[in-house]
Parts: sequence; structure tokens; C-alpha cells
Amino acid sequence: MLHTQVLKSRLCWRAFRSHKEQLKNYYQALLPLLDKPLNQVPMVAVDLEMTGLDAAFDQILSIGLVPIRDGQLVLAQAQHKLVKIDGSVGQSATIHGILDNHLKQALTPEAAMEWFLEATLGKVLVAHHAPLDLAFLQNGLTSLLGEKVSLIAIDTLAVERKRLLRQHEVLKEGSLRLGACRDRYHLPIYAAHNALIDALACGELLLAQVASISGTEQVKAAELIG
Amino acid sequence: MDASELQPISHFLNQLTPFDSLSPATLERCCRALTVGYYGKSSVYVPLDEAHPQLYIVRSGAFEVRSEDGDLIDRLGDGDFFGFPSLLSGDKVSNRVQILEDGLVYHLDPNTFNQLRSESREFDRFFNRAFAKRLRHQSRFKAKELGSTNRVSSLMSKHPLTIDINATVTEAAKLMRDARVSSVLIIDNQKLAGILTDRDLRNRVLAEGLDGLLPVHQAMTCAPTTLASNALVFEAMLLMSQHNIHHLPIIDEQQPVGVITSTDILRGQSSQPLLLIGEIERQHDLDSLISVSKQIPLLLQNLISADARAEEIGRVLTSVTDALTRRLILLNQQILGEAPMPFCWLAFGSQGRQDQAACSDQDNGLLLAHEMDEYAEGYFEALTKAVCAGLDKCGYVYCPGDIMAQNPQWRMTLKQWQTKFDTWVVRPEPKALMHASIFFDMRCVFGPTNLFDSLQDNVLESTKDNDIFLAGMAANSLQVSPPLGFFKKFVLERDGQEVKGIDLKHKGNALINDIARVYALSAGIKEVNTAKRIRLLMEQNIINRKDALNLADAHEFIAHMRLSNQGYQFTHNEPLSNFLKPQNLSSLVRHQLRDAFKVVHDAQAGIKLKFTRSF
Repeated sequence: MLHTQVLKSRLCWRAFRSHKEQLKNYYQALLPLLDKPLNQVPMVAVDLEMTGLDAAFDQILSIGLVPIRDGQLVLAQAQHKLVKIDGSVGQSATIHGILDNHLKQALTPEAAMEWFLEATLGKVLVAHHAPLDLAFLQNGLTSLLGEKVSLIAIDTLAVERKRLLRQHEVLKEGSLRLGACRDRYHLPIYAAHNALIDALACGELLLAQVASISGTEQVKAAELIG
Repeated sequence: MDASELQPISHFLNQLTPFDSLSPATLERCCRALTVGYYGKSSVYVPLDEAHPQLYIVRSGAFEVRSEDGDLIDRLGDGDFFGFPSLLSGDKVSNRVQILEDGLVYHLDPNTFNQLRSESREFDRFFNRAFAKRLRHQSRFKAKELGSTNRVSSLMSKHPLTIDINATVTEAAKLMRDARVSSVLIIDNQKLAGILTDRDLRNRVLAEGLDGLLPVHQAMTCAPTTLASNALVFEAMLLMSQHNIHHLPIIDEQQPVGVITSTDILRGQSSQPLLLIGEIERQHDLDSLISVSKQIPLLLQNLISADARAEEIGRVLTSVTDALTRRLILLNQQILGEAPMPFCWLAFGSQGRQDQAACSDQDNGLLLAHEMDEYAEGYFEALTKAVCAGLDKCGYVYCPGDIMAQNPQWRMTLKQWQTKFDTWVVRPEPKALMHASIFFDMRCVFGPTNLFDSLQDNVLESTKDNDIFLAGMAANSLQVSPPLGFFKKFVLERDGQEVKGIDLKHKGNALINDIARVYALSAGIKEVNTAKRIRLLMEQNIINRKDALNLADAHEFIAHMRLSNQGYQFTHNEPLSNFLKPQNLSSLVRHQLRDAFKVVHDAQAGIKLKFTRSF
């Protein structure tokens, strides 16, 4: 309960302080979702591919979004955008498979952030290891809007860590990776590695986690937001 | 969006009938139309929205479809569908879908579903057929029987011709003529007394110059060899060729229910195992026997790939071993001469229980009619050495525990065997019992049955209701538990770093064998085959019907898993083992396997309560 109140007042404060109508709307649209049971909350699973892991100077290469409505992933509205970068993808291509010539048709970082804000309006973000993705997104939005942006999200990694610790399991190295978490719920192995598939994989993991946590009482959105 | 964007989903559907018949573009459109849901066991049933029927495609997990009345209609796992009947019929949803294992499910909306049906005939036909099949309530989760045609009951003539024992042979012959059959069963006091065949009329009446007023009991074959109606056709063939007869009365609960003739069987089939046994019986030296026995692994693989019941596979393979053993004894007797006294060749353990599988070793012994003199000792030494060596060369390796007839320790007279069994029965030391338990699964493969019967009767007499001995046997069988840990997770055997998997033999079937043995010995049941023991225990109300059926099913299921695992190993050129890796199983099978082990666990608790009183 207290946690929900803190989250709410933080969102209100951000909306109040913001000078951009777009951002005010974004924060306010999240407010009514926080006390709702999770299966009634519109969400969107998100995953990014980046040129590296440091939000201070690495760049976003692609963004995958899969909306979750009524507790189900809606593939018809799944989207995948490539983002233009300064310079070359360099060595990171070996991880995400995105090559420089793929990026010719890509969105500019500004256009990508505009699109992201619109596509996720009124939806709670879901990501695996969310702090990393949020850091990149916040940087992108901040440079687009010219004011500090801070996002909230459900982090499936944090949810899993909490659940395992509650079962008194010893956390082994690698046991919180997306694949390892999915394996625990007998979710299929997805070989492909791109932002859209990882967003889908993360969304499915959340559904599985919710199914295993909820049992009798229903989980509220705010309880899972870190 | 390029076509490969939802690759994991399109790839899955592309391997799934009937989606594999769709064009790549249609498939991609179909993927795009899906929504993905996850159903956890805690909600018990999949919430089916009556207003919005859709096709459910199971990606992972296990589900059970039940009718309104709770009857099981179908069990579903990866790649199965539900929800299509109401999509096709337009009727409201009446079935319920229970969640056995948490799972990921794809939903396809009715519009796209109907579009796909109108675009692809194969797609449409597939679901119409599935619908028709569902209407017939066909359950697909049972292992196929070798085919109902393989039971005696399916080939025998149902209403056997019978005549009273005091009738004359003329009356019998008239009856046979009118019914156009070649045999008649002779009944005395509602029980089968004998059988009269064309051959008897010829050999015992006409050829002897006797007249038609001769009573049938003077011409009939008394106390003929019989079989039960659920015996395998193959067993009937075996009996006929052993005894050189062409008619077998079929008896259920002491009542004649039919007759099966060699012609019935010939009409029925030509069977590979029987050909193999026939071939064994035609060989005249060891080398040719060895080359014939090379076919045994192939026979096993054929039976596995035909999805035969594990119990039947065990019986078929054991019959081959029995035939091979008998042939080896006879061949060596041709060299060594007549035996100086009657003897029985005893089979213990898996051969005794008739559940041999791949790579069985030999467990055997010799039962002698009386004390041996010097000549007899030399004779049986030579005979058993030759037979055991022959079995070893034919693929049945020497017993590592040296429980073999070639070991003088296991060549004993009736008296000595009885004394041996008494030491186990009277002073049931757990350690001694561990090694002795296989001796209690004994069967006579060669030799006079009355000699063997006197040993078995004597043993059962001493074990029946013998609380101390039974407590020892039960405690011994409780030392190993089925591989289920806390929270019903599988406990896997490890060999250092390598995960070996679940030991289906020692943690599964062996435990059920132990349980059935304890009960059978407590009740003085002669049968040693585990499935038959359980059936008899049920019929005598020693185990209640539900538990007995569950235990028999669990035995069959685990044995089936073990055999199909070995079939997989065989086709992939891996060494055959009893270890199953659970990660290779679909969740549905994993669920069933867990259920089977749960049954074993419960049955162990049952014998613990019944036989070992822990104060």
C-alpha cells in the first residue's frame, strides 16, 4: 500500500514539474493503472539492442515492443524499429546481428523516441533487467525533450530474484538471465536474438511469473514495479 | 516488417500439422494474428470465454479436456489444439480444460481461423476430422496394444461345441458333423474333462476297430492343455508347437469359453517372433543358434517401434530366451546323452518374471530330482557349463553375481533347494534378502512341471502369512524410493558432473516388482509375472481394484518409457541404458511419468503399513 502511494506521488510530482505537455500526459496516463490487478493493466514488453552496455556513450540500435492486453501478448501490435547511430555498429554486430547497411532505412534517434513515447502511452513498461534499458531510453528522451525524464517499469529480473530468494534458493551465477528464468517455467527456447523476440520472451516470462505468484489473490501493478 | 520477425513462432507453427500446409505469407499473417497467454495450475481451469470462442494452440504445458460430466475426453501437450469444436459447430463451449502443467498457449481468433479454412483445404479438413474424432471421444494417450487381433479371444471360436462325458462317440461325431468343426469339448459336471478331435476318432476309435457306442471319455484326450482368453495368440502358437496339437480349449474361471485351432491362428497372422522361435528350434549347432540370436535386438526394436505394450514385449522376448535355453539343453543332450535323472532348468529374476528387455543377463539354476552320484555330477557340470556358455554367446551375458546353473552352488536337489529357501524365510536378514529376492521370481523353463511345482508349493507354503519374513521382504523393498523429491520435482542421478537422468529400472519397475512380490508371497500366489501377480491380487481382493489398476498402469507406463527410451538410444547409436533425461520429455509425458512415480510411492506406503509394523 505504502509503496503504491510513494509511486503515485512520485508520478504526480514528475507530471507537475514537467514543462512538456507530452510528458505530463505520459506520466498521468500511468497513474490510474497502479492499483489495478495486473491482468487489467495495459502493459508493453520492451527490449533494446545497443552498441554497448554503457548508457553514457553507447547508442540504441533497435527497439522491440510487444503490447500486453488482458493478460495476453498481442502480436498484431508488436513492433520493431531500427535506430540510426553515429558511426559504425562495430564489434557489437556479432551480438545483435544488425549491420551498418541495415540501418540505412532506420529512424533517427529523435523520431524513434517520439514513436516510443506514443506507442507506450498509457501502458506499463516491462523489461528484463529494466534499469539498463531504462537508462538508454531516459537518455534518449531527455535529449529529445530537453528536460530530465525518468521512467518506471516492471523488471522481470527483479521479480524473479525476489521470488527465488523467497523460496530460499541460492542464486547461482547466470540463474537470472532471461533464458535461465524462462527455462524455470518450461517456456520454449527462442534461438533468435533481436529486440522484438527478446521483448516477446520477456513478456511471456512476466505472464508465467504472474501465474505462479498470483495463486488466490490478484497481484496489483504497483507491487511489481521496482 | 520482414517475414522472419516472429521467427520462433512461425517456425513452431510451420512444423505443426495443419499449419505446415500454409504458404509462408499466410503463415506470417497467421502469426501476426495470434495472442499469447500463459495458464498456471493455480487457476485450475483455462477460462474459456463463451462470447469469444477461439482456437487454442498449446505451445508448452499439459492440459486435460473434460466433458460437462467430468469424463476425460483428451489430454493435450505441445502442439495440440483445443477450442475448435465450438468454433466449427457454433455451439457454446461445454467442455472444461483443466491445467495439469503450467503452459504457454497461442490464441487464434475466429476470423483468421475461418479465413485459413477457406484458403486451405487441408487446414479445413484437419479440423473437421479432429472434430469428428473428438465426438467419438477417442483418447489418444494410451499405448497401443499389439493389436486386439493378438489376443486369443479375438481369434477363437466363441461358443465351443460341448458334449457330456457319458455320450457316445457317434453322438459326438454327429454333433461335430452338423457344426462342421473338428473338435468337441467333453464336459463333466460343468467342468472341462477332455477334448475329442477328428484325429482321436481316427486313431483311437476307427483304427482300433471299436464301434460308435464307445463312450467319449474312452476316446478323448483327458485334461487337455488350455489357455485363458486374454493370453496372446503367440502363446497359443507356442503351446501348440510344443505339444504338437492343433486345438486348444480356452478357459476363463474354470469355464470353457472357446476353442482356438491352428487354422484360426494361421488365418490370423504370420508373426515375426514366432518365426524366430521356429528358426531357433530348427538349428542343430551352437554357431547357427548364435547367428539366429543376432536377430533378437532387431525383434525388440520392431516391437518398440510398433508401439507394443511393454508387458507384451517382455513376454515375447522371454519366450525367445526360453526357446533358446531349451534348444541349447536339447542340443547338448544330443552330445552328452540322456540325463541320469529328471531335472528342471529354473529361470530367476527378469526371465522368471517374463519381463526381459535389452541386454539382460542370465539368472538360472538347476533343480534335480534326487542326490547326484559321481557320474551325474560330471554330467550336469558339463551340461550346465555348455548351456550357460551358449547363452552368453547368444547375447545373454554371464550373471555378475554368479547365479547360474554352471555354478555348483545353484545345482541342487529338491531337498537342498527347500533348505536354501528356508534359510531366507526363517531368518530374513535384510542383506541376505536383497540378494535372494530374485529367487522368489522363479519359473521352470525345461523339465517336469510336477518336480518344479513341489518346490514352489513348498516355498509358498512357508512364506504365506509369515509375518516376520514378509516384514523383512517389505523393509528390503522400501530401501529405494521413486525419484520424486520435495515439491514433486524429479531427482536425477548424477555421475560426477554428468546428469544421467532418471533410473527407470531401479527406481521404477524394480520397485513395482518388489511390491507385487511381497503381496504375492504373502498370499501364496504362484504367478511370478508382475502384471499377472497384480491382476490376481486384485481378483482375490488383496489389493483394492483402484490401487491395483493404478499400479499395473504405472508399471506398464514406466516400462514403456524405458523401452521407448532404449529404442531412441538404439536408433541414435547410443549405448542402451535405463536412464531417461526428463528434459527430453514433453510436459504432458513428464506429468504422466510423475503420476506413475506417485503411484509407486503410494504403493510403497501401502506395504509399509501392511507388512512392517513400526511401533
